[in-house]
Amino acid sequence: MPELRGTVGGPVVTEWFGTQDLYKLDVYKQKGGYAALRKAMVDMKPVDITNEVKTSGLRGRGGAGFATGTKWGFINRDMPGPKYVVVNADESEPGTSKDRYIIENSPHMVLEGIMIAAYAVGANQAWVYIRGEYDEPYRMLTEAIAEARAAGYLGPKPMGIDFPLDIRLYRGHGAYICGEETALLESLEGKRAQPRSRPPFPAVKGAWGRPTLLNNVETLATVPWIVNHGGSEYAKRGTEKSPGTRLMSVSGNVKKPGVYEVELGQTFRHVIMELGGGPPDGRNVKVFWPGGSSAPVLPESMLDTHTDMEALAAARSMGGSGGVIVMDDSHCIIRAAHRLLKFYAHESCGKCTPCRVGGDWAVRTYERILANEGSQVELDILQRVSDALQNGRCLCGLGDSAGWVIDSTIRHFRSEYEDHALRHECNVGAVTALA
Amino acid sequence: MTVLSEHILEEIRDLPSKFPQPRSAVMPALDLAQEELGHLTPEAMTEVAHELQLDPGYVEGVATFYTLFHLAPTGKHRFYVCTNLSCMLRGADDVVARLKSEIGVHEPGEVSKDGLFSYEEVECLGACEYAPMCRVDHAYHYDLTPDSIARLVAERRNGGSAVAAPKKARAPRKRKADA
Ligand SMILES: Cc1cc2nc3c(=O)[nH]c(=O)nc-3n(C[C@H](O)[C@H](O)[C@H](O)COP(=O)(O)O)c2cc1C
Ligand code: FES
Repeated sequence: MPELRGTVGGPVVTEWFGTQDLYKLDVYKQKGGYAALRKAMVDMKPVDITNEVKTSGLRGRGGAGFATGTKWGFINRDMPGPKYVVVNADESEPGTSKDRYIIENSPHMVLEGIMIAAYAVGANQAWVYIRGEYDEPYRMLTEAIAEARAAGYLGPKPMGIDFPLDIRLYRGHGAYICGEETALLESLEGKRAQPRSRPPFPAVKGAWGRPTLLNNVETLATVPWIVNHGGSEYAKRGTEKSPGTRLMSVSGNVKKPGVYEVELGQTFRHVIMELGGGPPDGRNVKVFWPGGSSAPVLPESMLDTHTDMEALAAARSMGGSGGVIVMDDSHCIIRAAHRLLKFYAHESCGKCTPCRVGGDWAVRTYERILANEGSQVELDILQRVSDALQNGRCLCGLGDSAGWVIDSTIRHFRSEYEDHALRHECNVGAVTALA
Repeated sequence: MTVLSEHILEEIRDLPSKFPQPRSAVMPALDLAQEELGHLTPEAMTEVAHELQLDPGYVEGVATFYTLFHLAPTGKHRFYVCTNLSCMLRGADDVVARLKSEIGVHEPGEVSKDGLFSYEEVECLGACEYAPMCRVDHAYHYDLTPDSIARLVAERRNGGSAVAAPKKARAPRKRKADA
């Protein structure tokens, strides 16, 4: 393992991180691992587990922030026939590396969370959809599953309870869209990953047409702690509407990039300047993406924005995936936006026209501006494309995200856009012409 | 004669029973084919389709959707260099430039003359706290500089036995044959 960069011994998810060989079952158990599974299966009724998660106020850490306990409650546990838990380990949102950090530190914690969730919703089988590039996390989960099977946590009678449990892995093959839950399900079923229209929601008709609980890795990794300590204990942390902690991957122009466990409600100044160590000497923060590349940008003047979802919504952004990308004042906002639009254009699955066409339009427009061929026409096109991508015109959020990059960078850096497009100048002195 | 060897075809035939519905086997099957041949040829995709009782056009449709399937020959060692924002802000472009000159190619996907190398510029690989970074031979490499990427190339060019063969990781902790 490379040098760990991030929180060890933190308040919730990272509490045991940093323990030598935590990835091994016996070490994980020594720390107290699988006590939550025992408590859930032996001492609690499934509905109590779900209620405990509701009490915690935990919200999904994959991006949308949906209330986790409520989602669990959507699954009809008594419905006959197979039900599934599907775990979103596709982690492909630019700037986001926290699920990898969790799996590499404590794969059994992820498995334990999955098992508790599966028992709570009455699913006997769980599938972890893990991005194909994650070789090491895949190996670690494979070994952890083998250990859990040998120990009887997975198998016909976990904890002596007549509730067979199995966890399988499914590797992705390089497509950002597979992180979107319905595209993920298509991919798991062996198809091109194009989002489905909802309803029906996965809770009713998910993987292989069956009721499915779909959660992010970090969401599930938080569950053992909640079962151990109680939902109300978790809810004491964070803010009223965004309780608890979340892992934020801080990257870009900071001295101490890393994955930090942050109590929600802390400021981005704390996350970026203290945890992340601030920008390199002699540089200032210019802008940051508070929740992955899809979260609308915030300029340096908004560093005191709080990390809870309500504060971010008020700042016209979002908590998203928890990926905090920091850019200092030696970099050009147009180049950054161009790079991200290239990403969204490349990753569009092609199903919805605004997204399929809009991304490429925006990329070409940025390229004209960067080649000093811009004018008011280019600025108008960017605004029109950005509008066309947003507000539910596409089946999934990918189009909106692309639109938000354009929209939010123009909103906060209009003069830089005008310098580039109208005066063919770059105020950070970066080379403007593209190779 | 098939292009895929009999034991691979047999493994592919066993795959569908591992899933709630057989169609889910298509990507794991394409993995096996790509692992054996290096890239997916039309014949290989047809054989996969045949074994899984799917339409060849369907299988190709799946293969072309995902960037980790390669439909053209690649180098024996494929560098996937992340150039997304966090890596770009920390010098990914310089890393790519050096890599291109070290392996003597001009664009992504082009195979070096000796057949050993090719590279792709890829999107965020989820290891941004180690930016800039890349993936090669099923392992991540962190905190890259132009010099360190040159070393990764040199090790593979000279080392041979020092570097694990670019095989797909299928079973944990299994020692793989050296390159
Ligand atoms: C384009 C797109 C990409 C997404 N990528 C991811 C991802 O990589 N990982 C993830 O957990 N959720 C991702 N999501 C959110 C999922 O659709 C879904 O909301 C989430 O996995 C649900 O789990 P949670 O409730 O535990 O957060 C993505 C959404 C969109 C629209
Ligand atoms: S941006 Fe390169 S690994 Fe995330």
